[in-house]
Amino acid sequence: MKGSLAKTVILLVGMYVFLKFILPLFTAPLPASLIFLYLALTLASAMIFYTMSGGSLDEFMGPIGRFLTGTGQTGIAGTARILVFVLFPVLVGWQTYTRLAPSDMPPAENRTIHPAPPGEFVGLANPYERSQNNIMMGKGLYAAFCSPCHGANFDGKGPAAVGFNPPPANFGDPGTIAQLQESYLFWRIKKGGVGLPVEAMPWKSAMPRWEVELPDEWIWKIIMGEYDGAGQSPRTWEEEE
Amino acid sequence: MGYQKIFNVALGLILTVTGAGVSCVFASDPPPESGAGSVAVRLHLTDDAIPADDPNAAVWDTIQPAEFKLAPQVHWPDRIQEVTVKSVKVRGIHNGQDLAILLEYADPSNDAADAAAIEFMVGDKMAHFAHGQEMLQVEGGAVNIWYWKKEDGKATDMSAKGFKTIRAQDDQNVSATGAWQDGTWRVVFSRPLQTGDEHDVQVTPGEWRNVAFAFWDGEIVDGAVKERGSQKAVSSWWYFRAEPPPDNSIYGYVVLGIVLAAGFQFFLVRKIRRGNES
Repeated sequence: MKGSLAKTVILLVGMYVFLKFILPLFTAPLPASLIFLYLALTLASAMIFYTMSGGSLDEFMGPIGRFLTGTGQTGIAGTARILVFVLFPVLVGWQTYTRLAPSDMPPAENRTIHPAPPGEFVGLANPYERSQNNIMMGKGLYAAFCSPCHGANFDGKGPAAVGFNPPPANFGDPGTIAQLQESYLFWRIKKGGVGLPVEAMPWKSAMPRWEVELPDEWIWKIIMGEYDGAGQSPRTWEEEE
Repeated sequence: MGYQKIFNVALGLILTVTGAGVSCVFASDPPPESGAGSVAVRLHLTDDAIPADDPNAAVWDTIQPAEFKLAPQVHWPDRIQEVTVKSVKVRGIHNGQDLAILLEYADPSNDAADAAAIEFMVGDKMAHFAHGQEMLQVEGGAVNIWYWKKEDGKATDMSAKGFKTIRAQDDQNVSATGAWQDGTWRVVFSRPLQTGDEHDVQVTPGEWRNVAFAFWDGEIVDGAVKERGSQKAVSSWWYFRAEPPPDNSIYGYVVLGIVLAAGFQFFLVRKIRRGNES
């Protein structure tokens, strides 16, 4: 158990380096709150391990106690002790300031991107045959009505897309229409942004309420054209069963 | 010795919390994606009079602008696929009584029908950015629109709650002045922060509110105005806030935090020493 405190410190530093610098090489960077949680868990685990017996506890806590009381602390250790005693209150003061200082950032928005559709739209099947003619017609309608925002390449980068917040959906992204059933798209196209529930912030959406301009038949065929053009398939009930 | 162990555990737990806090300080969040543009307009607080009718006042150049991209209005007919005004720089200032907002945008020609507008939500109900149009699952609120047109030479204070409901208010309390130079319009809108009119946005320093923008290029093309009515450049909702007066009580809390932390250290060391002696 010799050097248990040093081992814990090395473990924590190693964990931090791994989470902060090595893991992002393989995946998205972790948010600070998650890194904090992992480090806290690591430290808590070490504490539990070293407090399992009186001997290991003394081994672990002894250096901390000697450091804080200054017992046998000379030279660099003595200077470090004074530094800790100065830095700790400064850190507390700094944290207090950053917590209380007015922020220039607007309130965070937790907008639900794919909220639950109204019951009447759940499970509807596309009543039109998935024929080349219908797909071609759908693509033509898409080009006329949808592509200005969602893009000729179905990538959400149409000429009108740049000013909108939230931006138009990128149908090539596997997180959009590939996750949804055709009936969901039918709802979203027919009722538009104003048809969204409160958690999806309908007041921000520029998606038109197409039911006032397009017949249902055109909407169903646009859906076919979207899936075909974006190289995606709709999610189906069969896959879920 | 048992007493000391208990105390050491307590000390360890305190150090755990401190260590975790320190780790949090060093583990900063990933930076936001670049090129996203601004999300908010800050109305800077000044002790002086605001440049209510001077789009070229020197103070404007001391303020860092927020910049918002604009899109053709495609949400409802009549749509437009291409617009002249692609983005707008927005600066704001207030003195606790009055506010002024400067819109700066590129428009190659100075035309009589050139126009600009700022839209706000009114009250606490969320309103759709397209003139507060009806939402199907959410009861929406109204919008307040400040509209400036070059040939009018003034602002019109307007209200809307849904399409075809836009109208000039009975109480007109917004003013606007525009100046065009070298292909750039600078239009300044001004108004008291609070008006007492229920149809107006009320601006309270420190409170976040929503804001959107619209622009019309009034150039005559083939005998007709190029952009008019619903054919315009628009933005979605963004945020603005009038800067609150400085709150010096923060520094009192900072000093209190430092004193408490130092006191904690003092008593902690004394406790450990006494434990060791016993």
